[in-house]
Amino acid sequence: MKASRAFAVTKRVLRDLKNDRRQLALIFIAPLLVISIFGVAFTGNVKDVHVVVVNGDTAVGNSSLSDKIISNFDTSVLNVAYANSESEAVGQVQNGSASAVIVFPANFTQSVAARASGQTSVAKENVTITLLADKSNPNVSDPIIATVNTAVAQTIQGLGRQAPVSVDSSNAIYGANAQFIDFFAPGILCIAVWQLTTLLTLISFVGERTSGTLFRLLASPLKESELVAGYAVAFGIIGTAQSAVLLTASVILFHVTIVGDVLLAFGVIALLAVVSEGLGILLSSFARREAQAIQFLPIVVLPAFLLSGVFWPIQAIPTWLRPVSYLIPVTYAVEAVRSVILRGWGIDKIYPDVIALLIFASVFLSLATLLLRRRE
Amino acid sequence: MKDDVCIRNLEKDFGGFKAINNLSLRVKHGEIYGLLGPNGAGKTTAIKILCGLLRPSSGEAYVLGTKVPDPGMASSVGYMPQELALYRNLTVHENLAFYGEVFGLSKKEIETREQALLKLVDLEASKDVLIDELSGGMQHRISLACTLLHEPQLLFLDEPTVGVDPDLRATFWRYFEGLRDAGITMLITTHYMDEARHCDRIGFMRDGRIIAEGSPQELLELTHTDSLEDAFLAYSRTEGLQ
Repeated sequence: MKASRAFAVTKRVLRDLKNDRRQLALIFIAPLLVISIFGVAFTGNVKDVHVVVVNGDTAVGNSSLSDKIISNFDTSVLNVAYANSESEAVGQVQNGSASAVIVFPANFTQSVAARASGQTSVAKENVTITLLADKSNPNVSDPIIATVNTAVAQTIQGLGRQAPVSVDSSNAIYGANAQFIDFFAPGILCIAVWQLTTLLTLISFVGERTSGTLFRLLASPLKESELVAGYAVAFGIIGTAQSAVLLTASVILFHVTIVGDVLLAFGVIALLAVVSEGLGILLSSFARREAQAIQFLPIVVLPAFLLSGVFWPIQAIPTWLRPVSYLIPVTYAVEAVRSVILRGWGIDKIYPDVIALLIFASVFLSLATLLLRRRE
Repeated sequence: MKDDVCIRNLEKDFGGFKAINNLSLRVKHGEIYGLLGPNGAGKTTAIKILCGLLRPSSGEAYVLGTKVPDPGMASSVGYMPQELALYRNLTVHENLAFYGEVFGLSKKEIETREQALLKLVDLEASKDVLIDELSGGMQHRISLACTLLHEPQLLFLDEPTVGVDPDLRATFWRYFEGLRDAGITMLITTHYMDEARHCDRIGFMRDGRIIAEGSPQELLELTHTDSLEDAFLAYSRTEGLQ
């Protein structure tokens, strides 16, 4: 073994690196990006969750116990609105504008006072505050339940005596028996399709460029738009197949509950695959070799992994970072697929997400076509 | 007779580097025109402009009477890129079928032509073999078959014999002569000077333009040399003196 030869190899590798700015940037910037995203996303608590209070309490002003409890809500977590009836409030959860309903029963203050003073004429049971949450997302519903319980405990403590109040959160508007895996599974479907499709398109398109097949195709009657569309259909099919297998596996292995229309969910996933395919072709024009293409992977996968609501809800992502989430197509797909599978929502409710995905698809596919059509 | 290829004062500038520098040439109908020159002479760039893959910076090029780039003439032209341009994970048949479909051939047409072409390149037995499992020479023959599948009347062959052993090179030129006899026009680039004797006419290319043109015999006589390689060097030297 000759040290000089080994050193020559070392030098060559370093020179290689020096001449490839993209690789250099990835080596240093990508880990930084990952660390920052992880740090920010993990430390974030759920914030600004919309809840609707239905207050049947007739006591007003300082004497109202319900108002005291509400004033003790952590306002950074809960954003409180009011409704006149329970059905109106539940409607707001069902149309997606709120995540939970909190119901104070009629004469709440009086009932509590009566029990606390030990009047024998009233029932012994606690006065119950009913909390109806959208439990399809435990990451959101758990903090709501915790916040309400804390506020109740604080208020009672402030009174300085035992008060017979309890919170009943056993009923849910959606996802009554939802486990974390139920929340998680739709996200994993989307992220898997996103990752695989983008990577496969990227690699096969770099292959088309390096093997010369793209030259043959561009010199043939095949139009650029046809090439892009052909790929889109292929990956739409692959994406659907992939998610069908994954979903079946999660139903069998993890007993994931499916409430809604599976075909609609697959439709959304196929659309996401088309978006990913467009992105893959776009990225392929920035890579000369397969090895360079692989380097794009962290950029494609990680932000989506961390910021699109796969593992923790968008509500847990700091407000200043949320616009980034909404620039990632996966965010819309995760939201739509989750709503379909867990809440049983139809196209009438998920159409904003579908429109967002359609916009992404048309932008990416047109750009990919234009880029292929461009002649030096 | 009308020329199948006509290039007039063509220039191609790649960010300050002139790959094609005032190139003019004509390829007559039914002839094999050999574009000869060292690597970097601009041969591939010229072919890519003719196939519509690159846009000329100035000047003009006509292919079968149509000014390029024009997507309309793709089906009458066959292009064999320098790279093999085959899908390595597909079989011979799957490659041919794919390119056939791209050119709008029917299933029946693909079937009959595939049979004839595989017979021509002597690879009938390899129909269902993956490209990856074929030898380099076999891959070259399949690449040629893919180029001929849609029965083009004009062929652009970019370095078709690079990396091909002498035996197969001779075979390839036999194919080319046979195609010419069937009335197909060919523009072939190569940097193997000796094999250019098979061409009807030759253009010596250097620094993006033609430095000498004529039949192999004419070029040898004019330079008083025995080989086209010496002839090229002779022209190259005169060019350097100017």
